[in-house]
Amino acid sequence: MKITLNINQIEIKIKVNPGDRLLDTLRDLGYLGVKSGGCVRGECGACTVLLDGKSVNSCMLLAAQAEGHLIETIEAQGQHPDQGWKKTTGLDPIQQAFIETGAIQCGYCTPAMVLAAEALLRDNPKPSEEEVRDALSGVLCRCTGYVKPVQAILRAGALLRGETVPAIGEKPQVSEEWLPEFRDETRLPDKEDDKVLILSGILPRLITTPESKGMHTVGHPETKVDAMKLVQGKPAFTADITKPDMLIAKVLYSPVAHANIKRIDVSKARALPGVAAVLTWEDIPRVVYSTAGQSDPIPGPLDTFSLDKKVRFAGDRVALVAAETAEIAEHAIQLIEVEYDELPVIIDPRDAMKEDAAQIHDEPEYVNFAASDASKNLAAEIRIDIGDVDKGFKEADRIFEEEYVVPKVQLAHIEPHVVITYWDSDDRLIIRTSTQVPFHVRRIIAPVIGLPVKRIRVIKPRIGGAFGGKQEVLIEDVAAHLTIATGRPVLYEMTREEEFIASRSRHPMRIKLKTGVKNDGTITANEMICLSDTGAYGCHALTVAGNTGHKSMALYVGDGKYRQSPNIRFHADAVYTNTPPSGAYRGYGVPQGAWAVERQMEAIVLEMGFDPIDFRLKNTLRPGELHPFSTAWSEGREPKPEVVNTIGLEDCVAQGKAAIDWESKRGNQSWHEIPGKPFLKRGIGLALVMQGTSIPHLDMGGASIKLNDDGTFNLLVGATDLGTGSDTVLGQMAAEVLGVPLEDMIVYSSDTDLTPFDKGAYASSTTYISGAAVTKAANKVAERIKLRAARMFSEREIRIVAEEIKLVNRSAVTLAGQAISIEEIAMDALHHTDQEQIMAVASHVSPVSPPPFAAQFAEVTVDIETGQVTVDKLIMAVDAGVIINPVTASGQVEGGMVQALGYAVCEEMVYDANGKARETDFLDYHIFRADEMPEMKTIFVETFEPSHPFGVKSVSEIPIDGVAPAVGNAILDACGVSLKEIPAVPEKIWCGLKKTNINRGLCENFR
Amino acid sequence: MITKYHRPKTFNKAVSLLSDKSLNAVALVGGTFIKNYSDKPVTVVDLQDLGLDVVEVVNQEVEAGSMVTMQKLRESDAGNNALRRAIMLEAGKNVRNTMTLAGHLASCDGRSPLTTALLALDVSMTWQPGNIRVQLGDHLPVRSHKSPGLFISGLSWKHDIWLAFEYVARSPLDRPIVCVALAQWPSGRTRLALGGYGNAPIIAFDGPEPAGIEYAAKDALYDADDEWASAEYRQDVAVTLARRCLDRIQVSQTAEGEM
Repeated sequence: MKITLNINQIEIKIKVNPGDRLLDTLRDLGYLGVKSGGCVRGECGACTVLLDGKSVNSCMLLAAQAEGHLIETIEAQGQHPDQGWKKTTGLDPIQQAFIETGAIQCGYCTPAMVLAAEALLRDNPKPSEEEVRDALSGVLCRCTGYVKPVQAILRAGALLRGETVPAIGEKPQVSEEWLPEFRDETRLPDKEDDKVLILSGILPRLITTPESKGMHTVGHPETKVDAMKLVQGKPAFTADITKPDMLIAKVLYSPVAHANIKRIDVSKARALPGVAAVLTWEDIPRVVYSTAGQSDPIPGPLDTFSLDKKVRFAGDRVALVAAETAEIAEHAIQLIEVEYDELPVIIDPRDAMKEDAAQIHDEPEYVNFAASDASKNLAAEIRIDIGDVDKGFKEADRIFEEEYVVPKVQLAHIEPHVVITYWDSDDRLIIRTSTQVPFHVRRIIAPVIGLPVKRIRVIKPRIGGAFGGKQEVLIEDVAAHLTIATGRPVLYEMTREEEFIASRSRHPMRIKLKTGVKNDGTITANEMICLSDTGAYGCHALTVAGNTGHKSMALYVGDGKYRQSPNIRFHADAVYTNTPPSGAYRGYGVPQGAWAVERQMEAIVLEMGFDPIDFRLKNTLRPGELHPFSTAWSEGREPKPEVVNTIGLEDCVAQGKAAIDWESKRGNQSWHEIPGKPFLKRGIGLALVMQGTSIPHLDMGGASIKLNDDGTFNLLVGATDLGTGSDTVLGQMAAEVLGVPLEDMIVYSSDTDLTPFDKGAYASSTTYISGAAVTKAANKVAERIKLRAARMFSEREIRIVAEEIKLVNRSAVTLAGQAISIEEIAMDALHHTDQEQIMAVASHVSPVSPPPFAAQFAEVTVDIETGQVTVDKLIMAVDAGVIINPVTASGQVEGGMVQALGYAVCEEMVYDANGKARETDFLDYHIFRADEMPEMKTIFVETFEPSHPFGVKSVSEIPIDGVAPAVGNAILDACGVSLKEIPAVPEKIWCGLKKTNINRGLCENFR
Repeated sequence: MITKYHRPKTFNKAVSLLSDKSLNAVALVGGTFIKNYSDKPVTVVDLQDLGLDVVEVVNQEVEAGSMVTMQKLRESDAGNNALRRAIMLEAGKNVRNTMTLAGHLASCDGRSPLTTALLALDVSMTWQPGNIRVQLGDHLPVRSHKSPGLFISGLSWKHDIWLAFEYVARSPLDRPIVCVALAQWPSGRTRLALGGYGNAPIIAFDGPEPAGIEYAAKDALYDADDEWASAEYRQDVAVTLARRCLDRIQVSQTAEGEM
């Protein structure tokens, strides 16, 4: 049918199918700022457009329904102000505010948020924060925690009203209403004279170190280098391109959890007009591999095939289809006939290693790693004994033993897994994919598809959120097989349902803890016995479980002689079950361990009458001590001793305590009560956590820097910015060394043909490892620039050696202040004298993994009649070394805390006895909306980590570690319920309340 | 699959299209998703031009067209605080801007806060053709297999009813595990609806006065056991929430607050 759509005030006559969604129609027309989150009930809002001025989901409307209405997309909002000879009015104030406030992380939902803000501010020029949050309630964001988007909209509102707003980082001149953070003027005494306290609006509270002062870009809240394109909704993501003759791929996923495929008939599907290929296990080479995107050798079993004759979970692949349209591909999927010979199903990991358990991996090609044993359904086994644990227990006055349980949870990045493959003119396979690990993808997929590495090029565009989920080489083979089969480009994008049933998730675990404590509060021994459920495949089984112990158990070493020689036992089994595979997810095993350890610490505190903070700090690791696990385990590789040099934990605790007003609340009965609502009880809790920063002696990052004619630089990195801002902070480090503003660094990541190798974005390594590589490369380039500058100075009768020249303000400057611009030097080098391309490549591997530390505080309100928990406040004080960019770093903490909040109270993936998932969309799997957030604060306590040129440690993963136990401890403080299992859903609290005195009367009424 | 799209300008035309069995036509009313129809060709009849998007209060009666969106109802004078709260809980703003009352009632399940509230208000539905009036409480249990007409044209309910709404969920705006809506008429008639479970919310109590609502709440959920919560928990919490709703209404009545 023919329709006329009014898009951004332009009438467009088009032909559509009656069933075409507005989302697809707009994208087909090139409005690529309209994104898709793969959902079908409008849960995510990434596809937001304005329809007659109101924000709506274009996935829920037929294109025909939109005829006669004004459709507005992000493309109408604003654009780059300087387009050569053509100048524009530039970005609009909302877009500008999103950039300035750091409201953009991955940027996938940014166009939707900007449009929601536009609709709000047109109708309501002076909205309250509550109204802003309501306007954003239809757009889910997994990155930001909504803190900075809300501030951006309040700031834009002020700008549009003509009010003066302070620059980011300045203290406010006026106004309290549009920057709520400014209202917080909790002032803390500087602990030491050499530390500076900065209070600001968008910035977090930042306690700086002396070493981080005096730099021109490092430590400054620079705007993200990719913000301009993301805020305009430019076609920056994988699916934002199209290729001639591109086919759409769909996958037939198994409906049963464990079965041999007895018969599969694809004849009807192949005969369907418009179908280009249908592939089953019979059609492609049988190559065993691991989907875990890790360095070689993969530290885990090889147990996966692109397609197999056996399915091991409901959601395992059965067949691949490529067709002219998505509808035809889906129809073809329905035409495939499969007869399954069903096998016994294992859902509970406690059943996996029983003698009569069905063997999930009985394929002869299975390749063991270390102690994995497919015959026992054992994907990985860890046995670590440090010191003399049994002796430690004997020396204790009290022994505490408990079992803790944590659930499987989804990563819920808003951009689904998506890949496009095609042959280029040199017959090389191009894989354009939303991945954290482009170089691992190339290496791992090569044998699977039968191509040598040299004939594969992996391009990583912007990534719409990943959080570890795109460390998996999950779907690249689907498109690649189909491109090989058809010779045509293929797009494969998972739906939201497929993300739930067929992608990766956080490992659920059962963790038994045993702790020995002396009456004086000294921990004498700690033992963790961990049962980890890796699901149907063993990707990350060993390394995730290992980190559960490695990070969470290492924090508490004990005191006195135990500090010198800690007694720690960590045993873990990672077992196969017939559930979707677990994998890498931000935190990588540590949130599981932290829940157990910090709940255990709280139980000890209450039982023995210790102060919760004093007890913890008495036993935690201290600067200069050996990381206790460093001599015992290193991600499945040879361990080497590591000393932990920087630990800002005590300062974190002090800052966090003051910010949350711990002293006046903890133990204050009146604070725990809410006047007029006797059924509500307040509680406060904390947790201390540590993470790691990269994998020592293994993780390698590379960078190259090239000087251009105009004195700017191309910085090429193999590191992958998932929205974290790593391209920006890497650019900042290079700019600092080269004496130029960040805008002179043209940062590009990543492309296996163009950028140096980098192992990818995981293990909290990019700022630390890739940043050190960037700094090394920048130093090499700076050295060449200085040498040439010295010669150029000598031609001007100025005698100076290169070592005395500084690079500042885009110039090479002598001690006396004479300057030659870097542009002059570039022109000289490229065109005039002894021509050379000034450029350098460098790489970096670290011998240590310096841990960041944090104190996480939480306040909750518990309804003791219903068990409902409301988290009111989260404050995290973090020692992440020197903060390169306080805006992007605090964005990491805010977003991480919200993911962790979901882990604490509402997120879980549950399966019935047949392995069928309860959660397949964002209706049942609830992630927090903008209008239900607790108050959140971030504090950075800087230390200077000596193993990095700028003193950094990591910040991206630690925010997810402490929220759940801090909330659990706050629940205990509020109502006496000591949860062993998360999420803290109301019925669990209610059951706990029935066991305590606090609510017994109520429960007895109905029993 | 959707093979034809019509946007009639009149009731008669809409009725004509929807009655034509050769078209296999369904009303497109603005629900929560675009239904993935089977391979059989389907004609959709978009009702957006029929003027059914008006909500007003006439003689103490709320009259809402079936195409009124949730957000429009929330912003109108017809909504009271409890109803607005239920709407907020139902969905984020984008969905509220497109989800119509008819679309929602056609697609919601038992966990719907808004349907629970509307059920407590004893909403009357008008179906076409023929202006057939059916109470929501009578329609919900049979809606999957019995339809009084071709499409809903409007809903109505008394405006001078006190309404309270309470719920329990995993987070402040998650879908409820238990939700309770209690309506009380000036006559004392009291009607208790329970949601958070099953295919549709249910009526637990409808009587001349509130005495007994707690027992009714408990009894109504005796088998409300599913993968989200136990019946025992739901029964216990429903009693608490029903009592709170009643308290809330009594406080409002005392303070002569809004309805």
